Amino acid sequence: MKKTILSIFFSLIAGFAARGDAGWNSLDDLAEGRIAVFSGTVHDAFVARKYPAAKLLRFDSTADMILSIKKDKVDVTLVDTISAAVIMKTNPELGVLQEDVLNMPVGVGFGKRAPELRKRFNRFLKEIRADGTYDAMFRRWCGGDPEAAVMPEIPESGGEEKYVLGVAVADLPYVAVMDGKYVGFDVEMIKRFAEREKFRMEIVSLEFPSLVTALASGKVDMITDGIAISEERSRMVDFSEPYMEFRTVALALKSKIAKFAGPAAAAPAEKSFVRKVADSFRSNIIVERRWLLILDGLRVTVVISIFSAILGTLLGALVCFMRLSKKKAASLPAGLFISILRGTPVLVLLMLVYYVVFASVNVNPVFVAIIAFGLNFAAYAAEIFRTGIEGVDKGQTEAGIAMGFTKTGTFIHIILPQMVRRILPVYKGEFISLVKNTSIVGYIAVQDLTKASDIIRSRTFDAFFPLVMVALLYFSISWLLLQSLEYLERVTDPKFKRKKAGSL
Amino acid sequence: MIKVEHLSKKYGDLAVLKDITVEIKKGEVISIIGPSGTGKSTFLRCLNLLDTPSGGSILIDGTDILAPNADVPKVRRKMNMVFQSFNLFSHLSVLENLTIGQIRLLGRSGKEAEQKARELLKLVGLAGKADSYPDELSGGQKQRVAIARCMAMDPEIILFDEPTSALDPTMVSEVLAVIRRLAKDGMTMAIVTHEMAFARDVSNRVLYLDEGLIYEEGTPRQIFEAPQREKTRAFINRIRSLNCRISSADYDLYALNAQIETFCEKQILPAKTRQDVLLLVEEVLLVYTPLLSVAPLDVRLSYSEKKESLELIFENTGDGDNPLDNKLLPDELGLTIINKLAESVDYRRVNDLNRLTLTIKKI
Repeated sequence: MKKTILSIFFSLIAGFAARGDAGWNSLDDLAEGRIAVFSGTVHDAFVARKYPAAKLLRFDSTADMILSIKKDKVDVTLVDTISAAVIMKTNPELGVLQEDVLNMPVGVGFGKRAPELRKRFNRFLKEIRADGTYDAMFRRWCGGDPEAAVMPEIPESGGEEKYVLGVAVADLPYVAVMDGKYVGFDVEMIKRFAEREKFRMEIVSLEFPSLVTALASGKVDMITDGIAISEERSRMVDFSEPYMEFRTVALALKSKIAKFAGPAAAAPAEKSFVRKVADSFRSNIIVERRWLLILDGLRVTVVISIFSAILGTLLGALVCFMRLSKKKAASLPAGLFISILRGTPVLVLLMLVYYVVFASVNVNPVFVAIIAFGLNFAAYAAEIFRTGIEGVDKGQTEAGIAMGFTKTGTFIHIILPQMVRRILPVYKGEFISLVKNTSIVGYIAVQDLTKASDIIRSRTFDAFFPLVMVALLYFSISWLLLQSLEYLERVTDPKFKRKKAGSL
Repeated sequence: MIKVEHLSKKYGDLAVLKDITVEIKKGEVISIIGPSGTGKSTFLRCLNLLDTPSGGSILIDGTDILAPNADVPKVRRKMNMVFQSFNLFSHLSVLENLTIGQIRLLGRSGKEAEQKARELLKLVGLAGKADSYPDELSGGQKQRVAIARCMAMDPEIILFDEPTSALDPTMVSEVLAVIRRLAKDGMTMAIVTHEMAFARDVSNRVLYLDEGLIYEEGTPRQIFEAPQREKTRAFINRIRSLNCRISSADYDLYALNAQIETFCEKQILPAKTRQDVLLLVEEVLLVYTPLLSVAPLDVRLSYSEKKESLELIFENTGDGDNPLDNKLLPDELGLTIINKLAESVDYRRVNDLNRLTLTIKKI
């Protein structure tokens, strides 16, 4: 036993030492290293196949991958060539370890049920390649610095037809958000497609891994975001003709790459803390009017929290009464509802409601989120209410009834005021946890506060500032919403009136 | 006013009430007594339908409240109830406890209700507690508020369900005093109680419930002094006296003391008297201890309200010697104490039994 622990310990040290060795020359040197990939991408499958001994770390945003490299939590990451250029501009300590790691064609995905739209796109692609529009677009987004590119104004068509485009806002040159608007090669391409084919278009942003699922289940009509045409994906959805080549490079810290060896570049002068915060504030909030994203996200988070709390409270009250009913036909389903809802992760519930229950209905995902969180909150609220009601001693109900109140009257005048006061502390806690739980709605294409910070991070690669800002914002929302509940707690305190009178 | 005919109540297979027929007239004060578990409370709760009777009929001013179309909440307003556990509304102040029903059910204005509430609080001696909350009151105060709350609804009858059973002995009398006061004012009341002395002097009629029936009924004098039927007699005697048998020298003195104390409390005897009885029993038992190996000893303690005195009787078999005369007593001290505490000491041999009788005056 002792031996095993010791040997593990030594191999760990040996591992560190190996990594500390001077200079990697190619990705092959890292066959047993830590490789970061975007989860659900072709890189994921590629690394698993080619370097089975490597430790594969899957991320959901480029920003997180870059941060992990910088903090030496991973050795190398695989990204698209053009993204790499953008990343290296803001992170000079990173360098390319190997180019052309994996090259794959990139296409727009279409649903298998609607082959017509795909045909139209292929025809459109042929046309823009022929008339030079494609070349202009390529120069704009992939030629020089994509961050400097200006998205041309493309008029929206007012046709009857309407299609929904799913994107993941992975990064430039494909899809990004600037000044609160979607930009990038793919966005321009599809907008031009819509203009030429005269249909209206709506863009929803999803998590990258769920793009294909969303398309396959009919939530969106097409997906694009530098999606490589892979065999697995082709089984689920149909791809257009390739519109670009996706070229992968391996990025790592320059200090660890052999060809960058030599005297380290003079480190830039250390900035003061205030200066750093000011810079972060500017780049994360002011630049590209990113505060618009935050504001929108904030609004969505508040709307979802409040409405699902209201829905959950009403539904919870109903379930609670059913649960307390003496009739089996009412109490049994209520009990079942509570155990199932409380036993399922709310994320799973959210996905189920979105992809299964409302699969064939085109419905606002915010509404879906309210339903899912409302259902989840109802299960907890029902139990909170039940303990509240059962906590009021039965004698008071009897006294109310004996006095001449009806059962309902007794509940309203005698039980309810006491119950509200009893449950508020627990209810408040449940409410805060609801507010925080809503941070997962990004999975179903809702841009809430967390998603907004993810999008910003994917552009600024700044991990600290957006996260802390979002944390502070969540705290403020919870605190503000709590104040209203605390007011309720004060006025339902029977002794409050007397205290108030006494203090006058 | 209330006419109950062939009322029965079953819980599953257990028939708590079998066949109750009784009439309560306006102005009557009825005490319902009987051993535990004979359905006294159930009977009361059936009257205002807190428990639904299994059979029979209840007529209030001629209308059958068990009829399917009866307006039960309205009927209940005529006969409010006082519970063993007070059941005050804990989120309301004392004043609000008294006004909520008046305002919500009788449609009185807030001012009117408050005025009435304050009058009633004065009546039960709690005018100063109007703004207190139930958890700030003692048990006796709570029960007085509960009674005032009943009165606020102007009921035609008040049902009392063991109103003093959950109270500290020291608080029993303040509640009983309020009930006595109501009786004097001519309130119609039905009281389930274990306070026999109270039942005797407050009520016009006593119902003795047993076997799910009204086993015997009559005036307090009839029931308490000359019960006609066997079970009633046994019950009344049990209240009046405490019997126990000590069969070895290793008897549990503390359990015996506890029994004696409970008995004294039931008879509402002063603490001093109780102490005297305990001391006396202990001293006499010391004298008897050597004799316990020969024959068991029967102890009986009984109280006569009329004579206001307690009688302690020790009986055993064996040779006919007065244990207190025995020259073999270890010392004179015990005997001195006994003679000092007891008003009279009497030794007699009856039917081959040695009977030592001591009497103690209520102080």
